[in-house]
Amino acid sequence: MNENLFASFIAPTILGLPAAVLIILFPPLLIPTSKHLINNRLITTQQWLIKLTSKQMMTMHNTKGRTWSLMLVSLIIFIATTNLLGLLPHSFTPTTQLSMNLAMAIPLWAGAVIMGFRSKIKNALAHFLPQGTPTPLIPMLVIIETISLLIQPMALAVRLTANITAGHLLMHLIGSATLAMSTINLPSTLIIFTILILLTILEIAVALIQAYVFTLLVSLYLHDNT
Amino acid sequence: MLSRVVLSAAATAAPSLKNAAFLGPGVLQATRTFHTGQPHLVPVPPLPEYGGKVRYGLIPEEFFQFLYPKTGPYVLGTGLILYALSKEIYVISAETFTALSVLGVMVYGIKKYGPFVADFADKLNEQKLAQLEEAKQASIQHIQNAIDTEKSQQALVQKRHYLFDVQRNNIAMALEVTYRERLYRVYKEVKNRLDYHISVQNMMRRKEQEHMINWVEKHVVQSISTQQEKETIAKCIADLKLLAKKAQAQPVM
Repeated sequence: MNENLFASFIAPTILGLPAAVLIILFPPLLIPTSKHLINNRLITTQQWLIKLTSKQMMTMHNTKGRTWSLMLVSLIIFIATTNLLGLLPHSFTPTTQLSMNLAMAIPLWAGAVIMGFRSKIKNALAHFLPQGTPTPLIPMLVIIETISLLIQPMALAVRLTANITAGHLLMHLIGSATLAMSTINLPSTLIIFTILILLTILEIAVALIQAYVFTLLVSLYLHDNT
Repeated sequence: MLSRVVLSAAATAAPSLKNAAFLGPGVLQATRTFHTGQPHLVPVPPLPEYGGKVRYGLIPEEFFQFLYPKTGPYVLGTGLILYALSKEIYVISAETFTALSVLGVMVYGIKKYGPFVADFADKLNEQKLAQLEEAKQASIQHIQNAIDTEKSQQALVQKRHYLFDVQRNNIAMALEVTYRERLYRVYKEVKNRLDYHISVQNMMRRKEQEHMINWVEKHVVQSISTQQEKETIAKCIADLKLLAKKAQAQPVM
């Protein structure tokens, strides 16, 4: 069972070729583009959703920060669709792989920080010392703030990986629990199945929320540094 | 184009699939984005408004129609599923229950909130159309107002002669009034001058009369000598006494 539990997290290969690339490239196919003003319901609702999220996210930035709007909106859409697609049975979720999340988090964080250091160096360095600290604490606090800054990309990546992986694992475990109980005791099977349903609802929420959190934090780092 | 060949071949092979000819425009529109071959010189057929009917959200209706003459599709489906289960082609594992719960939640969500989302999307589209329609109507109204204004202006131009008549009358009246006024002034001035001459004449005559009277009086008074004056006074007194005697007091009635 131990091998079987983590089997769904192995990057899929077809005859030795990585199919993960195809899986990562699949979600954009679900979001059609259109040149017309009046579209079908799918495109209309998707466009409305994207407009809502982009407006909500980008209002707090200034002009320089808003140049990142395409990046951030595509980030949240990618993470949300990938997470939601991963809930389907026998599917592979790319965001469970730490490698991919690191590849998303590190460039974005580094871009925001380097942009901050290039343009407003005093403001960027000022982040290392919160306002109103007593003088004896300053050296320690600078070290702590530096560490907290450097840990931001790792935190972003690991947070997303851990949440999604944990959710999938839990679903798998409770599913196997229902399977095991179905031969022993039927009413408890139903109880466990109810727990599974509730967990599914939670997973859907977690999928969306994690996307949101990731993008929000990157947006926050951007706001600090523009 | 190749897709249409395939479709026509399939249509001849299975007559009930002829309804699938409507796939043609969809494929045509979809492959246009790839820009293979020359652009079409004639208008491409429009997309149909509603998609093909499906049962259970997955299987198109044509599949059922295709199978009905030969075998029942539900029996076929049940048979396939039982075959896969019994031969362990599909293994019931933990994944099965996960799949059941995920698909159950999805179906429940779609059944419950599907119409709401559909209405919402329709409302969004209708709002866009209503905006454009309103812009068009506003433009039409604006132009209509301009036309009406222009028409009324033209009608007014026809009635302009009234205005000119009134103005002409006004001016004639004003001229008349001025003329009469000046005429009166002339009359007054002339009368003034004539009155002056008359009063001068009157005054001269009066002065002459007075002068004459004064001269006559003076001479008369001068001519009355002292003797004559005494005689006259004595005679007057004697006359008065006589009268006084004659006219004794009469009793007052």
